[in-house]
Amino acid sequence: MSSLEVLLKDESTRNIRRLLKVVILITIAGAAVSSRLFSVILDPWFNFRASKYLVKNGFYNFWDWFDDRTWHPLGRVTGGTLYPGLMVTSGAIYHILRMLSMPVDIRNICVLLAPAFSGLTALATYLFTKEMKDESAGLLAAAFIGIAPGYISRSVAGSYDNEAIAIFLLMFTFYLWIKALKDGSAFWGALCALFYFYMVAAWGGYVFITNMIPLHAFVLVLMGRYSPRLYVAYTSWFALGTLGSMQIPFVGFLPIRSSEHMAALGVFGLLQIVGFVEFVRDQVPSRQFKTLLKALIFIVFALSSAVLVLLTVSGVIAPWSGRFYSLWDTGYAKIHIPIIASVSEHQPTAWPAFFFDLEMLIWLFPAGIYMCFSTLQDQHVFVIIYGIMASYFAGVMVRLMLTLTPVVCVSAAIALSNILDVYLSIKTPAAPTAGAPSVNERKEKKPRVNILSAGKDSIVGVYSKASKIAVIAAFSIYLFVFVLHCTWVTSNAYSSPSVVLASRMPDGSQHIIDDYREAYYWLRKNTPDDAKIMSWWDYGYQIGGMADRTTLVDNNTWNNTHIATVGKAMSAREEVAYPILRQHDVDYVLVIFGGLLGYSGDDINKFLWMIRIAEGVWPDEVKERDFFTPHGEYRVDDGATDTMKNSLMYKMSYYNYQSLFPAGQAQDRVRNAKLPAVGPTLSILDEAFTSENWIVRIYKVKDLDNLGRDHLSAAAFDAGKKKSKRTKANKGSQRKLRVV
Amino acid sequence: MRFFAPIVGFLSLASTLLPTVLADSKVSKFTSLTAGSKLKGIVRLTDALYTEFTSAPRNYSAVVLLTALDQRFSCALCQEFQPEYELLAKSWVAKHKSSDGLFFGELDFADAKATFQKLQLTTAPILYLFPPSTGDNVDVAHIETPYQFDFTQYGVPAEAVAHFISQHTSHTPPVVRPFDYVKFGTMAGGVLVAIAVLSIAFSIIKPIIYSRNLWAAISLIAVLLFTSGHMFNHIRHVPYVVNDGRGGVSYVAPGFSNQFGLETQIVAVLYALLAFATISLAMKAPRIEDPTGQKAAILIWNAVLLVGFSFLMSLFKQKNGGYPFFLPPLF
Repeated sequence: MSSLEVLLKDESTRNIRRLLKVVILITIAGAAVSSRLFSVILDPWFNFRASKYLVKNGFYNFWDWFDDRTWHPLGRVTGGTLYPGLMVTSGAIYHILRMLSMPVDIRNICVLLAPAFSGLTALATYLFTKEMKDESAGLLAAAFIGIAPGYISRSVAGSYDNEAIAIFLLMFTFYLWIKALKDGSAFWGALCALFYFYMVAAWGGYVFITNMIPLHAFVLVLMGRYSPRLYVAYTSWFALGTLGSMQIPFVGFLPIRSSEHMAALGVFGLLQIVGFVEFVRDQVPSRQFKTLLKALIFIVFALSSAVLVLLTVSGVIAPWSGRFYSLWDTGYAKIHIPIIASVSEHQPTAWPAFFFDLEMLIWLFPAGIYMCFSTLQDQHVFVIIYGIMASYFAGVMVRLMLTLTPVVCVSAAIALSNILDVYLSIKTPAAPTAGAPSVNERKEKKPRVNILSAGKDSIVGVYSKASKIAVIAAFSIYLFVFVLHCTWVTSNAYSSPSVVLASRMPDGSQHIIDDYREAYYWLRKNTPDDAKIMSWWDYGYQIGGMADRTTLVDNNTWNNTHIATVGKAMSAREEVAYPILRQHDVDYVLVIFGGLLGYSGDDINKFLWMIRIAEGVWPDEVKERDFFTPHGEYRVDDGATDTMKNSLMYKMSYYNYQSLFPAGQAQDRVRNAKLPAVGPTLSILDEAFTSENWIVRIYKVKDLDNLGRDHLSAAAFDAGKKKSKRTKANKGSQRKLRVV
Repeated sequence: MRFFAPIVGFLSLASTLLPTVLADSKVSKFTSLTAGSKLKGIVRLTDALYTEFTSAPRNYSAVVLLTALDQRFSCALCQEFQPEYELLAKSWVAKHKSSDGLFFGELDFADAKATFQKLQLTTAPILYLFPPSTGDNVDVAHIETPYQFDFTQYGVPAEAVAHFISQHTSHTPPVVRPFDYVKFGTMAGGVLVAIAVLSIAFSIIKPIIYSRNLWAAISLIAVLLFTSGHMFNHIRHVPYVVNDGRGGVSYVAPGFSNQFGLETQIVAVLYALLAFATISLAMKAPRIEDPTGQKAAILIWNAVLLVGFSFLMSLFKQKNGGYPFFLPPLF
């Protein structure tokens, strides 16, 4: 026995191995945390505001919090419309640290929460994978999830969103479920329900767990793998978990009244019947009786499904909500809920995105799934189902790459650890002597029918040291490149928060474009505290957080009509928009314009969605067709339609823009269009602020005219009679516009 | 002013009375035409009737379909829309025996070339909606110029046209699709046959359903399809390959968030190859008993893995120009 083998196998060195394991896990957690610290900017601001409120006013006030700084004039009943898990977590950490007399600012906790929880995710993944194969696979999986860009994308420092803690909860709940299933233990089932409750409190994606666990149980029953262990684990999880999830006000009675949750209920019922039948079968060993029982199961199952359908049709049970339904019927959202289809995260995923986020794991993933099939215990069925479902969802929506990443890491770790097990073994088998029956021949050899039977012969081992070294060397290089890839992706793509844009100068140096913060700071310093800002909902949280001003709509898109109102104001003519602005007390309007810099995420590019959402509510007044030329083109240059040119959004984006260029040379660098020689005029708005690179433009809504005229005629009057005054005013506004 | 009010009222009454009488006579005429029509609920128009049908004064809403049903014109959309239009008209007259102020007319190109020429129409089908020009629901802006239904945006379903009519007039035409007994019968029969076949042949099918190989194959194919961007192709309807303008085809789409059909298939095959090489190395190779054979197998699979992965990375580099990494032998 070599000395290394003594170290690895001997009882006396068990402590050393345990220590090694702990050290490795801590190192992985450390790597996971540190790779998320490339740059730190807190976002989304709403969650931070909510956490501050929670820490300052206590938990009960937080439940009753009515936020009048958003959704003006409606306000938002915050306690009942959010998942409080994230804020409560950071609030709890804050109070614990204070109790240990370590006063830490709540802001720092919010910033570092996501990296800290990614360390915990690595631990949860280790535990989960350990249940699938062994500890070495677990360590590999932990290392993968620690640095996989697919997960880093949502958990860099400062990304203070629900997903930051949700992935840890997801993996840990799954681990507890597998543990409960393996041991048939109500204790682990109850723990699983507890963490399920935490997950429900933290993220809307809990529905994934709500359907994954029943699906696993259902498949096991279909495979004829029903066991008392399954019964105990599932029923304890379902009963406690459902009760728990109903404690969250935002969820309330959904678990018994919506279609998303019906699968769990149905499988619960099915397990009762199957359990009863299995019990009776043990007592009465008659063949006829068994057939009768089978028929009974079938009839009861069919009947309860029919009742379920009936309840859904009659409206007692809500049908699938649009957000989830659009995952199955992929064309649904585009037609019926443009607000969901408009979000870039909800677009389907092209293959480079998979490779970008997972690199070599993406091809180790199917290999791991295959290996799960070759062992196929109850817990492997779970990984297979999870893998298929998650890869479908990730294909439909970019955002759901997040739920795919953990299972890819687990599966890839299983595959890679199989490779390492074979090729890192020091033992070399003796070469078979000629004539002697080989290991496998000694067993009666059957003709191969099973393609999975590669795993059925017994392992001989690898004879040649050179082969071992070649394979291990190749995989070491792949792993090394994987680490490089992850670092590169993280530092390049996922560490530039949306608030600050980084660009490369021709000489290669980095140039920071900080227009957003410049504009928000301007709002904070130059507008009254109770000013109402209208912008598209994408910027609602940022304005609320950084500029501390009241917004009309924000990223919590709970009220479609209100968003459509903003869309209508943006897409309407000035005289139509003005009453809307007045009715909503709007003081300032903010638009994002990328034409000067070539920043493609600007409002003119998002404009079609605003029109579509508005058209959904006012089909008579806003028509998408009017914004397209007769040839079906979306244009902003001379060929743009009159509706387009007269829309408030177009005017606000291009107002005064022509003055930057020599006459007739104005150029939009995003849409590569030469703009009309004469720029748009604005009569209901005054330009208040334009940022350094023209990305953010803010307009002040004019007060009613002193003489009771409408603004158009007032402007015409000014233009006709008081030319000298107008040029003076123009000069004043131009001084504010800094030109790069 | 108050003194003049009755006079003004009387004058306006007189000025509206004459067209009302004229329009009323038209209503009774078209009601009888609708009732006597061969196509249920639709007035077959001619050049003369079209003018009378659509001209002011109207105290009814007139929907006119200008179509070209004759096979010679090979107007696919006309053929496709015809049954939907008939369904819409039929549903309306079934509920409203005396038409109640909404008429459906149809003008075929074969009967009325003059109208097509007069309106300078070169395409068909065209669906006009003339709202009332007198009466309570008068729509001043559209007395002479009708609303036009946009087939390209809303397609041909009768429901879409019904929605279009309800948007612009006070009518909300119902669409009652007749229950399709044939379809129901075939469906029910099919289900019964399927159940019968299943129960009879269950002993044969059972090993297939419970076959681990089958499920493994299905699962792996599903995973490979989804992770190589098949859903993107499905949702966005991307082309399979694109002509590159130099006589050849380009099979790799430029840009990070775009792809072609063939490209995703290449990627899927590549993933499958790499996964299979991994499986062979991990599970097949250590079970080979012949040392030389084993050595060769390991060497080959290792090489396949390297070349495949290298090719994958170079493909990714094509998509993402700034990607700094590569593996030999391909750069």
